Amino acid sequence: MSGNRLALCLFLGLRALAPGEAPVQRGGTLVAALRAEPKTLNPLTSLDSPSREVIGRMNADLISTDRVTQSPVPVLAESWSVSADGKHYTVNLRQHVRFSDGQPFDADDVLFSFQAYLDERSHSPQRDLLIIDGSPIQVRKLDSFRVRFDLPTPYATAIRIFDGLAMLPKHLLEKSFEEGSVSKAWTLSTPNKDIAGLGPFRLKEYRPGDRLVLERNPFYLKTGQPYLSEIAFLFVGDEDAQLARFLSGETDLMNRVSARNVPVLRSRGMTVEDVGPSLEYNFLFFNLTSQAAMPGKEWFEKRAFRQAVSAAIDRQSIVKLVYFGLATPLATHVAPSNRRWAAPGMSAGTASPAKAREFLRSAGFKWDSEGLLMDGSGRQVEFTILTSSSNAERTSMATLIQDDLKKIGMTVHVVSLEFRSMVDRILKTHEYEAAILGLGAGDGDPNSEMNVWLSSGSMHVWNPQQEKPATPWEAEIDVLMHKQEVEIDFDARRRLYLRLQQIEAEQLPIISLVSPHVLVARSARVHNLRPSILDHYTLWNADELFVTPAAGQSEPRR
Amino acid sequence: MLARGLYRVFQSAGLLLLISSLWFLALSLAPGDYFDEARLNPSTSAETIAKLRDTYGLSQPLPIRYGRWLRSLAHGDLGESIAYNQPVSKLLAPRIRNTLLLTGTALTLSWTLALALGVWAAAGRNRLADQALRGISGVLLATPELVVATLLVYWAATTGRLPAGGMMGEHGGGFRELAIHLALPAIVLTAMAFPVLFRHVRLAVSESLHEPFIRAAVALGISPARLWWQYILPAAANPLLSLFGLSLATLLSSSLVVEVIFGWPGLGPLFLESLFARDTYLLLAAVVLSSLFLLAGNLCADFLLLWNDPRIRKAG
Repeated sequence: MSGNRLALCLFLGLRALAPGEAPVQRGGTLVAALRAEPKTLNPLTSLDSPSREVIGRMNADLISTDRVTQSPVPVLAESWSVSADGKHYTVNLRQHVRFSDGQPFDADDVLFSFQAYLDERSHSPQRDLLIIDGSPIQVRKLDSFRVRFDLPTPYATAIRIFDGLAMLPKHLLEKSFEEGSVSKAWTLSTPNKDIAGLGPFRLKEYRPGDRLVLERNPFYLKTGQPYLSEIAFLFVGDEDAQLARFLSGETDLMNRVSARNVPVLRSRGMTVEDVGPSLEYNFLFFNLTSQAAMPGKEWFEKRAFRQAVSAAIDRQSIVKLVYFGLATPLATHVAPSNRRWAAPGMSAGTASPAKAREFLRSAGFKWDSEGLLMDGSGRQVEFTILTSSSNAERTSMATLIQDDLKKIGMTVHVVSLEFRSMVDRILKTHEYEAAILGLGAGDGDPNSEMNVWLSSGSMHVWNPQQEKPATPWEAEIDVLMHKQEVEIDFDARRRLYLRLQQIEAEQLPIISLVSPHVLVARSARVHNLRPSILDHYTLWNADELFVTPAAGQSEPRR
Repeated sequence: MLARGLYRVFQSAGLLLLISSLWFLALSLAPGDYFDEARLNPSTSAETIAKLRDTYGLSQPLPIRYGRWLRSLAHGDLGESIAYNQPVSKLLAPRIRNTLLLTGTALTLSWTLALALGVWAAAGRNRLADQALRGISGVLLATPELVVATLLVYWAATTGRLPAGGMMGEHGGGFRELAIHLALPAIVLTAMAFPVLFRHVRLAVSESLHEPFIRAAVALGISPARLWWQYILPAAANPLLSLFGLSLATLLSSSLVVEVIFGWPGLGPLFLESLFARDTYLLLAAVVLSSLFLLAGNLCADFLLLWNDPRIRKAG
């Protein structure tokens, strides 16, 4: 038995004996809700989060990121080594591992998987992760259980690439891959026998529009696990309906609860765990694109204007009124829960209309007799903030910001648009003045944000896809992001990223607002749940979960 | 009669084409597309999104896309869902069955109740029972189905007596499981359709009862059973047959909302999801199918009228 396995067994054994924790029980079904139906079971093509939630339970990666420690942990890999120049990774695979259809897993499956992810015909969104500095990662088989990965340049987070890349069964997908139709494989109508993974569960049943049921994978690599016989995912369209199903005992888990529903759940004696600030950051930003020909654009370009707006916003009120205290104010986009990367000593501070007025005065703004803010040429400062109509929290935030900015004489209008219309305006037509968005990288590492911070990035929302950096500070950020991408030493990388956060706090291209907490509700019958701030919040350790009949509760209606 | 029937069929086909064209145009002109959500994923590049859009033909001009869709429709192919990456027909088939099960149940229940109580109320016009039924139908008529549905979901969630949503239990099928999941959405749809149907049945039967030929039949001493089955009810049938098509259409459109609230796996949730996701071909197919049901209901009512009323046959 390897050291890792022994440690895991010891850990689970001690956990089982811990006072107050129920002993492990095998069998039973855990019922969770998905906000939409998964669209595919194909790890290559999944774009939507419900598909990824299901696929994640059916598949396994070579190396995964531990959701609690955020460190890499081996899954299908037994061990790995890195060359001195940081460009070559040798991964030793576990032996005697089988897919859920009983077929053995080896280096050929790894080679095939990377070939499939990298092939353009697969239309895989993960392909971007495997292209480093314009060149794809090269994968070579050393023997049946050893694989070598050659990177074109040293890559700081190479090991994290393996997290979320499910290893695929060559014996089932090779034919469709060769025919160029692998992107159409493993849809929801594919027979169960034609789908196999290396995760703790495999497909049992799919009832269109109603539910998808996974059953225990008898060939799972961890002996004796998973403990559950089944996981049933019910398709429940919105959170209120999910709440109703949870309260009536039809489901056991709510993966992400809105703060507004926490009092309802707690008043009914349900357990709601506050895992802490998520990696999601909500922010206000102004349109700084060169195409934007609108009155007021010159205000947004003034740093003092953005500083004034930031100083006037009462983030504590947003936390209290929008999230009922279950959110954390942000000074930069990095939430304090992202301990490895958050800048120490940076706090959002309290709202200060007086300080905001000072910033505005220094930039030549004035107030008329009615207290309305005027720019140097006598034009009233008035603009519109776009929000998504499907996100009640962001609309409420916009309304509170409207009120805060009124105190310094700004006239702000709030317009809620349908989500895709809003994205279209921000990223394509640039027909907007200011907007509130929320981004939440699934990974706390800076490399997952390259597209946001590089001036050429399509998600550089305030001024996307620039041919060359529009400002000196954006040019500096470009340099910082490129440097950290290839820097192997963690402390050096961290210094680069802290400098980026410093620039962000000074220049305020985005005005970070708050990070909502990850809130998880579970019934008393679910055990071993260790919610995380990283996605998937609750089912990441599905192989360790078990259910017991809850004391004093009748068998729930399913 | 045949000519009139064929004319109505062609008219319906033209209407269907018009509806699909307008929806296609509206969807194509609306800002954004299916891949906008992926655009917000910082680790997905703009190039990847552009390639995905090309793959699904989203970057082609509108007339070409519409022409292709019409051509495939003519061959019985409803296109392919962008989100699900599979033929739309495969996605729709089980959902149509579920929607028809729900609306069929509600249609049967509401018409049975409306016919029985409408005839009874008309026969005893202005009595206490008639007044009570009119009062109840008035209250139901004034209450939006959204309110009734929400109240029932709340009741189910707090008491646990019936499931708050879904279609089947943990262990799948069985008539009992289906019936208990069907109960609440069917009650809401029935409660919504009943008052209109009841009022029409009551009015139609009341008017028939006061026709001179009915009074003559009574004077001739015809038995009450024969009077009702051969004279009163056939005379009251015409407006009710017209109402049948309308009730089917109303129930289908209301069922979309009720299905979403109760998580009933019919066309409703799929329609809503495809609308928000801008899954163009799936949405178009759902719209075409819903319109087809509506037109089929109206056609059905027209043919029943033709069959029931010799005056219409003669005019046609």
